[in-house]
Amino acid sequence: MTAMHRVLVVDDDTEIRETMIEVLEEAGYKAVGASNGAQALAQLRAPEDGWCVVLLDLMMPVMDGRMFRAEQLQDPELSPIPVVIVSAMSDVDEAAEELQVAAHVTKPVPLRDLVQIVDRFCPRAA
Amino acid sequence: MLNAERRLQLVIDSIHDSAIFMLDPAGRIETWNRGAELIKGYKRHEILGKKIHAFYTPEERASGRPEQLLDEARVKGRVEDEGWRVRKDGTRFWADTTVTAVCEMDGELIGFVRVTRDLTERRQTEEQRLQEEQRFRTLVESARDYAIFMLDTGGRVATWNEGARRSKQYTADEIIGQHFSRFYLDEEVRAGKCDCELDVALREGRFEDEGWRIRKDGSRFWANVVIAPLWDRTGTLIGFSKITRDLTERRAAELDRVQLARAQEALRLRDEFLSIASHELRTPLVALQLQIDSLRSQSVNLQPKQVSKLDRASRNVQRLADLIKTVLDVSRIARGRLTLSPKRIDLGALVGEVIDRLHEPAHEAGCIVAADLAPGIEGMWDPLRLGQVVSNLLSNAFKYAAGSRVDVTLSRDGDDAVLCVQDRGPGIAAEHLEKIFERFERATAAKNLGGMGLGLYVARQIVIAHRGAIRARNREHGGASLEVRLPIRDTCPLPATKDEP
Repeated sequence: MTAMHRVLVVDDDTEIRETMIEVLEEAGYKAVGASNGAQALAQLRAPEDGWCVVLLDLMMPVMDGRMFRAEQLQDPELSPIPVVIVSAMSDVDEAAEELQVAAHVTKPVPLRDLVQIVDRFCPRAA
Repeated sequence: MLNAERRLQLVIDSIHDSAIFMLDPAGRIETWNRGAELIKGYKRHEILGKKIHAFYTPEERASGRPEQLLDEARVKGRVEDEGWRVRKDGTRFWADTTVTAVCEMDGELIGFVRVTRDLTERRQTEEQRLQEEQRFRTLVESARDYAIFMLDTGGRVATWNEGARRSKQYTADEIIGQHFSRFYLDEEVRAGKCDCELDVALREGRFEDEGWRIRKDGSRFWANVVIAPLWDRTGTLIGFSKITRDLTERRAAELDRVQLARAQEALRLRDEFLSIASHELRTPLVALQLQIDSLRSQSVNLQPKQVSKLDRASRNVQRLADLIKTVLDVSRIARGRLTLSPKRIDLGALVGEVIDRLHEPAHEAGCIVAADLAPGIEGMWDPLRLGQVVSNLLSNAFKYAAGSRVDVTLSRDGDDAVLCVQDRGPGIAAEHLEKIFERFERATAAKNLGGMGLGLYVARQIVIAHRGAIRARNREHGGASLEVRLPIRDTCPLPATKDEP
């Protein structure tokens, strides 16, 4: 597997974050977590390797999903990385339009749907 | 040195504001002073030797008034008379006249002295004052919304008006002379409130208070009271004015406002709590669902029974998630935050998708869904929200008409799209036909939470937000029929209320 194929799971809820990483890894992806927008930016800017998609929660402390997205779009290195909003907010489609993201899903999200979405952006290792 | 007679003549002549002249016993004018000339308009030479009839109005002359006065003066020595007199030029003036008989020491009548004063101005002022007083009295007496009355210096009621009668229920006869303490609560009277109020009014010129007062029938009213001392021109206290306004209704309205504000705040807090709680409740479901799905996906390692248990667990997670979503929707609607994201959609295709998605619950309920969907009905609608409406109507049919056939039709009626979901279940009791769209707290029982009421309430709110209408009927041969009408729009005029960030 090349270094370009990691999924960044951004969610402040540890259970959700770790579960998503776990099931994505089981499904054959390489996934890493961040608990807010600021951490996510730091991860994306880390020199070691690249990312195929960011799964982004909207409501988070420190730096929320909207602020993260704004910062990401400001950075030419990071802006091409596709973002998928994964949120429990019921107006998630409106937010998706506003933030110009690649896709969005509403929590709770069935595993099948999650894998289907990630599969659009990332090749599986196995 | 002037003689006494001449001096007297000069004194009388110098009096300009009274006509002073003498008459002989027969009533002919013998002297004429300057005041008489000014008041009556005759020169001395014109009037001397004439009778006094010319000074009287024709009516009084006809009735013999001039002679009558002289006769009275002859008998009584002095008479006083007030009335209209006539000047030389014919104009009238209001005069006060005294006629005094003048006699010699032995009692022989030698004539009369007439003194006439022009009181026209005084009379006018007096009339004006009376009129003003009358107007003011009428004003006070007829005031209906204010009890306006006087107390004497001892605090006893001295006057009474219509407003006082209305608010305190006593007639003037019943209350005048009574001490004003009877309008107060017993405990206040015992505490010396009445005396205290008069003391303050005396000391500070005014006393104002709001509080309970008692009517004749013993009931209370909330009053605004102003007491002020009244002084006469010499500075002597003559009593107190008391103005009482019945504020019971205003106070009740104020209390209502406060209660309404409290109720609204409680509702706001509840909706805010629902919003936060439903979000928090949903969070653990995310991990739970993924974990169950993950286990289920490893079915190669599972017994069939384990697979079915995981399916059941997954379904129930979804159910819980749906319930929480409904609660969240209700709280959003309650806060006026139902947002629409209209897109151009084919309504028939959307309804078809929802029917497909609900294939499994339909199967479980033993319902066969027969769809007759007109193609090509396109408009600007929110697909997610309308999907929710269709889903709620179908779920409702599955729940209340399990085992029956459910017909879903979509047609065009003029500028409306008409969606109809009909089941062949027991139908809806007539008295519930409107109620089923109401919110759960208005419905009859809390058991409605998961079923009717909430789902249909949300459905109706979404339809209304699309400027459409929803109604429930019973089919002729049994079963419920729910009809949704949506205006077909090409543009996007929907009033989407914007969410706060």
